Amino acid sequence: MSQGNLDKCEPNFTPLLDLVLQLVMFFMLCANFVLDQTNVDIKLPKAVSAKALDQADDYTIYLNVNEQGKVILTPSDYFKDTDGSTATSLDNPGRVLNWLKDRAKTDYAPGADKTKDPPRSLIILRVHEQCPFEKTYAILKACRLAGYLRVQLRAVMESGP
Amino acid sequence: MLGRRRRRRGTDFVDPDLPITPMLDMSFQLLAFFILTFKPAPTEGHISMTLPKEEGGEFAIPNPVAENVPLHYIVRVTATDAGQIEKITLRQEGSAEATGKDFKADKALYQAELKTLAETLKKDNQTAKLTLEIHDKLLQAYVVQMMDIATQQDFKDISPVPIDPQKR
Repeated sequence: MSQGNLDKCEPNFTPLLDLVLQLVMFFMLCANFVLDQTNVDIKLPKAVSAKALDQADDYTIYLNVNEQGKVILTPSDYFKDTDGSTATSLDNPGRVLNWLKDRAKTDYAPGADKTKDPPRSLIILRVHEQCPFEKTYAILKACRLAGYLRVQLRAVMESGP
Repeated sequence: MLGRRRRRRGTDFVDPDLPITPMLDMSFQLLAFFILTFKPAPTEGHISMTLPKEEGGEFAIPNPVAENVPLHYIVRVTATDAGQIEKITLRQEGSAEATGKDFKADKALYQAELKTLAETLKKDNQTAKLTLEIHDKLLQAYVVQMMDIATQQDFKDISPVPIDPQKR
């Protein structure tokens, strides 16, 4: 009976490994990193005329508004109530106004005249598509009353017909 | 002699047997994880809008000295109980509400009218501001649609306000 050849025969895995690692790297870079400021639960409305964002603004305040019109603050922000309790969401426009007024106190460019100049931050409003206008308007009004003049409404960019 | 170093002759070729299989396994696991969790983020953009101005404040009074004062058009959008568009009307400020154009809930008609209006304004070298009077219940998706249609027709000054002046 003949003996088979006992030499080791190993497939070359190196190119396969290279390819797999490249794919891993691609998916890692394209992964949907959760941004601090944005809330993934907010489903934004679609708009054809929505313009691409410019990265020029260093001072921004994100207001994520859910279906019920509740403002969800970013993890780095919180609202301190008069009784000392803290909250990470604001369920009425009065609270939004108080919170924005508090923010506005320290939100001026150096040398700005606080009696004339508006606060420097741009407010980015991310409103859920199912939120009624009444709630959105209350927040817009709170922004205006707190002195903020620059407000941006976010939407998902959609290609035209 | 014991202490005598043995002189090396040439190079001994050692074939390193690096176990690649566990690394490949791990890579496949990582790859599977990223493929399964991959969800490209939708591209966000912004829509230009004008903040509501205080009713009766200095901005509400037209300046008679200024030339080429922008024309002011009012779009009224009423909503059903479910928050959908019930009726869209368009009129010029100062004209009676009954004289406004009624588009029912047809956004295409509204868009076509705004297009015609924008062309007329361009021809006359006029500018216009648009106030969207919106029912409280109208959902944000429709509010953005109305603003989107106006922005597409080159209206720059778009201001959404509630229908009830007391709430502004």
